[in-house]
Amino acid sequence: MSKYVHTETKQHTMKLVQMGAKVEVISSQMVYVSFDITEDFTVSYVYNINRHNKYFLERIEPYPIDLEEFDSTDDIVNIIKIDVEQFKTAVKSHNIKDFVKINQDFHNTILAFEDLFLYYNLPTKYVSKIKGNIEAINDIIKKASHESKRVYFGKEPGHLEE
Amino acid sequence: MLVGHFVVGILVFTLSYVAIISEKLNRMIVAVFGATLMILFHVISQEDALAKIDFNTLGLLIGMMIIVNIIKTTGLFQYLAILTAKIAKGNPKLILIYFAIITAVSSALLDNVTTILLIVPVTLVISDTLKINPLPFIIAEIMSANIFGAATLIGSPPSIMIGGATGYSFGDFIMNMLPIMTVIIIVTISLILFIFRKAFTVAEKDKKEILSFDENKAITNSGLLKKSLFVLFLTIFGFTIAELLDVQSATIALFGASLLLIISKAEPDEILERVEWTTIFFFGGLFVLVGSLESIGFISLLSQKLLSVTNGSIAITALLVLWMSAVLSSFLDNIPYVATMIPLVKSMAESTGGDYEPVWWALTMGACLGGNGTIIGASANVVSRGIMEKNGHTITFIGYLKIAFPLMIVSIILSTIYLLLFYL
Repeated sequence: MSKYVHTETKQHTMKLVQMGAKVEVISSQMVYVSFDITEDFTVSYVYNINRHNKYFLERIEPYPIDLEEFDSTDDIVNIIKIDVEQFKTAVKSHNIKDFVKINQDFHNTILAFEDLFLYYNLPTKYVSKIKGNIEAINDIIKKASHESKRVYFGKEPGHLEE
Repeated sequence: MLVGHFVVGILVFTLSYVAIISEKLNRMIVAVFGATLMILFHVISQEDALAKIDFNTLGLLIGMMIIVNIIKTTGLFQYLAILTAKIAKGNPKLILIYFAIITAVSSALLDNVTTILLIVPVTLVISDTLKINPLPFIIAEIMSANIFGAATLIGSPPSIMIGGATGYSFGDFIMNMLPIMTVIIIVTISLILFIFRKAFTVAEKDKKEILSFDENKAITNSGLLKKSLFVLFLTIFGFTIAELLDVQSATIALFGASLLLIISKAEPDEILERVEWTTIFFFGGLFVLVGSLESIGFISLLSQKLLSVTNGSIAITALLVLWMSAVLSSFLDNIPYVATMIPLVKSMAESTGGDYEPVWWALTMGACLGGNGTIIGASANVVSRGIMEKNGHTITFIGYLKIAFPLMIVSIILSTIYLLLFYL
């Protein structure tokens, strides 16, 4: 099996290099992890360990998070542990389905925005409008964080503004 | 020798052989399991079993695999493929010829399967760019790999095994096999070009796209490439003077491999991980299986029977071995076939005391060229089909047979003429 994987890689990298890309093929191990939080709620991840001792982690379910690079397996395990704890708490909320839907909608909105920018010559007025709406959403999130009861204390939030 | 041991030995060997040929189980597992059964049932002792393993063959294989695994990372094949495609100005017939030459030369110096693993993906990219069917190119490459695999001592497992058994040197193979294989490859490629003459229509814009490729981008590490080529050519030179140095080919290959590991600073774990250990263990098991047949006297019994059929005539034996090897190698794995034939031919040679050189070359030619006959005839063929299928191209058994089997017969006819003219 592995010899066919290598031949596939050779074809892709040859095409990409001729397109002008810098390509580095790194031998690594890919690990899939999933947790069944409830019968119908699964949290799953994929992470990649390579010989440069760099670890790439991505959450794939219930919605994707950005790929991040970590320096040790401890970091990966801690991130997953905290993530799963948070989802175990969150799944008890009556808003969980809305929470997942909103995250998926955000994700789809980002993809739609990307298409808009890459396929069309966007007038400045729309850029300003979109920026304004994002600021408005951020303001709502900030206000909601001040007015809502905190339920998770395992670590501090990483992306909420004070 | 107890009758029980004789019967058990034949039974274990036959069952192992059938299991290997059937491909229902991994051949390495079968060979090793069969070998251990031979020892467990006292057909052969462990000491004798280990003595039957040709460690020179294993060492040669491991050494060359290490060298190749390092060369592979440099992008050399992609460089050569793009450069020759540009020299051909995108002309598909010329590309087929040049790629066949690259495959042939590589196969003579590296092993067939590695050559195919390197050239076929590149061929698929080029044929994809030209928007033509890759099949003629792949068939030409398969045939070139198997033909020129017979041209040198290190070109294919059968050559390595026969070289190990006979003591024929790198130079002996070059003198005796290279000329006829050169003729055979020219004839075979010409016939392939004729058979597929209508398949080479390419639009001018697609040819221009090939010309826009930059072969220099394909080289990932020019320093490593230079070191690798230096060591490869040093190793080849070492093979040619191995007799003078009074060392065997495994020593030369492992010297080259370890030298390259040192100067390349490659990660040994990664390189050694890619050595085909299943092939090495398969060979080991096979040597014990066949060696067990030898130790129970079956091989010498068989050789006496064959001598009575051929009346001890070397000419008839050589031609019989050539054609039998060609047909059997088309349908069976040629490695266990050659492993079984080697002690048989040795036994016949010892019985008659004649010069069996023609028979050895007949076995080399038959086993290697026979591999071209069907899509399962050689590992290079099977691997090519695997890569093609992963890319959405199908090569059926009958489809390949209709084209390749007649070409293989032509190559055996040429080999027959060669034997008759120069050896018999």
